[in-house]
Amino acid sequence: MIAELGYLSLTLALAFSILLSVYPMVGAVKGNLRLMQSAPAFALAQFLFTAISFGILIYVTLIDDFTVAYVASHSSTTLPWYYKVTSTWGGHEGAVLLWVLMQTGWTAIVAFASKSLPWQLRARVLSILGFLGLGFILYTLLMSSPFERLLPYYPIEGHDLNPLLQDPGMIIHPPLLYMGYVGLSVSFAFAIAALLMGKLDNTWAKWSRPWTMAAWLFLTLGITIGSWWAYAELGWGGWWFWDPVENASLMPWLVATALIHSLAVTEKRGVFKSWTVLLAIAAFSLTLLGTFIVRSGIIVSVHAFTTDPGRGSFILSFLALVVGGSLLLYGLRAGTVESSSRYKVLSREVALWLNNLLLCVATLIVLLGTLLPMVHKELGLGTISIGVPFFNQMFFYLLAPFALLLGLGPMLRWKQNKFSHLTKKLIGALIVTSVITFAWLYSSYENVSTTTLVGVFFALWVSLTVVIDLLDKLSKEGASITKLGNSFWAMHTAHLGFACVVLGVTLTSAYSVEKQVKVNPGEQTQLNEYSYRFEGVKAIVGPNYKGHAGVVTVFKDEQKVTELYAEKRQYDVGMQVMTEAAIDAKLSRDLYLALGEQLSNGAWALRIYEKPFVRWMWLGGLLMALAGVIMMLDKRYRRKASVASEMKGVTA
Amino acid sequence: MKNKTLMLVPFIIFAVLCVFLLKGLFGNPKEIETGRLGQTMPAFNLPDLMDENKRWTDKDLLGDVYLLNVWGTWCPTCLIELPYLTKLRGQGVKIIGLYYEQNYDPDFGDSFDLAALQREVKGMLSRTGDPYQFNILDLNRTLALDLGVSGAPEHFLVDKNGKIILHHTGDINERVWRAKFAPKLLELK
Repeated sequence: MIAELGYLSLTLALAFSILLSVYPMVGAVKGNLRLMQSAPAFALAQFLFTAISFGILIYVTLIDDFTVAYVASHSSTTLPWYYKVTSTWGGHEGAVLLWVLMQTGWTAIVAFASKSLPWQLRARVLSILGFLGLGFILYTLLMSSPFERLLPYYPIEGHDLNPLLQDPGMIIHPPLLYMGYVGLSVSFAFAIAALLMGKLDNTWAKWSRPWTMAAWLFLTLGITIGSWWAYAELGWGGWWFWDPVENASLMPWLVATALIHSLAVTEKRGVFKSWTVLLAIAAFSLTLLGTFIVRSGIIVSVHAFTTDPGRGSFILSFLALVVGGSLLLYGLRAGTVESSSRYKVLSREVALWLNNLLLCVATLIVLLGTLLPMVHKELGLGTISIGVPFFNQMFFYLLAPFALLLGLGPMLRWKQNKFSHLTKKLIGALIVTSVITFAWLYSSYENVSTTTLVGVFFALWVSLTVVIDLLDKLSKEGASITKLGNSFWAMHTAHLGFACVVLGVTLTSAYSVEKQVKVNPGEQTQLNEYSYRFEGVKAIVGPNYKGHAGVVTVFKDEQKVTELYAEKRQYDVGMQVMTEAAIDAKLSRDLYLALGEQLSNGAWALRIYEKPFVRWMWLGGLLMALAGVIMMLDKRYRRKASVASEMKGVTA
Repeated sequence: MKNKTLMLVPFIIFAVLCVFLLKGLFGNPKEIETGRLGQTMPAFNLPDLMDENKRWTDKDLLGDVYLLNVWGTWCPTCLIELPYLTKLRGQGVKIIGLYYEQNYDPDFGDSFDLAALQREVKGMLSRTGDPYQFNILDLNRTLALDLGVSGAPEHFLVDKNGKIILHHTGDINERVWRAKFAPKLLELK
């Protein structure tokens, strides 16, 4: 009975999403204030009923109600309670419901955090968000309800959650990612509302900015944690595979990164207006396209298992309607927008324009790499596959111009710059960066490839220019760190984060070593400076698995560094065998052990990896996310600001 | 005016993309057109799974239309399709198994217990039904590699002259058999 209430509650949410997508919009068109003012109430009701529905799904999972098909196939009685909660988004149907919850949640937040907005805009934004909610709720109800029953025959024991997903990273990774995707729908709604009203001015950019920032922040965290999870949990020592599903999250991130830069230009200088709108549409469209790719089975991926043309058709129709509709609207309306500001070639505007260009090229590469195999086949040209080397190489080519620009951009002023103002700083930075790069690499490593040189050079270049800019600003503006403002700190934190990612990727790709050995208890093996003594295995018993842990003591120069437990688990229900890698993490390197099979005579197979600087990638991701937080804390985005003061802020 | 047409470019690109997505959706992503399609079976000389003294070569398979099923006891989907394949055998389809061992990697110093595997296979086939005329043991995956196998289950339909007519990844069920295999078999007869 309770599961049916979950379905019913979602149906009520659907009713409110219909009201929300119709009434406020009609009110906005007709100029009827009362209709427009109905939006927040509808938005809140839509969210509340979705929340009840999601709460019921969690409840039926916690009480092990295996008459519910979704619970039977994604949970089990022995699963710890926190993984039971996780299991509600561990499968397709539940994940979609989580998405709906977040979509309606964001809508409710926008409804109440947009009091300073004129009703004409507020009603339109909420109406558009309501329409998106309508699409997702309808999809859940018709195509992927997690409340379907398995009656009269149901299992007494569930199938359990995929052991791969039984990891703390999995508890927070999908919600963060969805928060990001859904957050981009807010920027999208603002863009469409602005297009509908024919008012593409800076105020629109100003309102849209904190929302876009929040979405980008969640997306950054989601991707970073996803990559860390793949590394820690999959036991292959890798962190990024260019899988279509990973690409589906990377594309909106790249465009959203371009968008937050472009929004800054539009807000501050009133240029790139129609371009910024297009980016806002593109960022959200790519999340929809990503959903389609992942959920339709159109592309074979290690993650995407749902191969259902019915679901695919629904998402494709929704995609065509939303994206096609908005691009058509864009085509009809955006052409009339003109930018009045002027700027010279050597200006921050141009630097940001180039930044946007490079980020879009990167997105296009990922998009083509993901879709080309399918297009190729549909054109009757046979099958091709585009793999990791293609993406790695293309991104390597983009790195140099992007990083160069990233170092240069913050030093440039708006409108124009004299080149002579920059030459001294730039030449200094180039020389110092080169010296450090060469000195460091050639003193620490025997083989230094061009790729490594380029990667490290640009990571250091970006970091150094951040320092130079900071010193420069401090020497000019009364030597006060507090006066520099949030956007200044946010920008530099994010750029340092990027430098960390580049450094981590470069060094770990170049200098990771691995060894596969057969070890007997008491035996010792050496890899680089560390020696590993295999102490033997001991049995382990978890809540829903049993297994062994290989105990390995690590020494360096006869000194004990750490003791590691590389586990091999067999889960009770599905009998899947999972490798749980043991990791000794330090900023300079990770020691990563995975236990293989038991061989004859008590010997075991052991894989040992040493991954220098691998932490820096995730550290970089976290720094970028921190930059988002700093930006969000900017006083200008405080809710209480009145419309009048916002307007003043724009012209000032 | 010119500006306006330019602004419609994203819409046009998206419309074209949609056509491909739609075609892709109703095409079968699992239908891989391998380089092997239309070519003859690669040459091999491999032992029988149940009797290691007996060996099979590509020559032994000529003269009959048969379905080569790449499978393993470790593969859950293979288990699911075994009863259906057994039914097909009952209808006179000649099915030959290519046993693909996933857990064994000679480069990794793994040992291999053939007797245990034979027991496991026997036990399993007695429960699900045995669709196979015989099973070829491809321990080092040489034949599988030559065929371009990427996982299990996979299926190859081969004609009398050893020519590969169809390559299907994923399981065979009633629907797949009717839509893909039955028409091809009819053509061959």
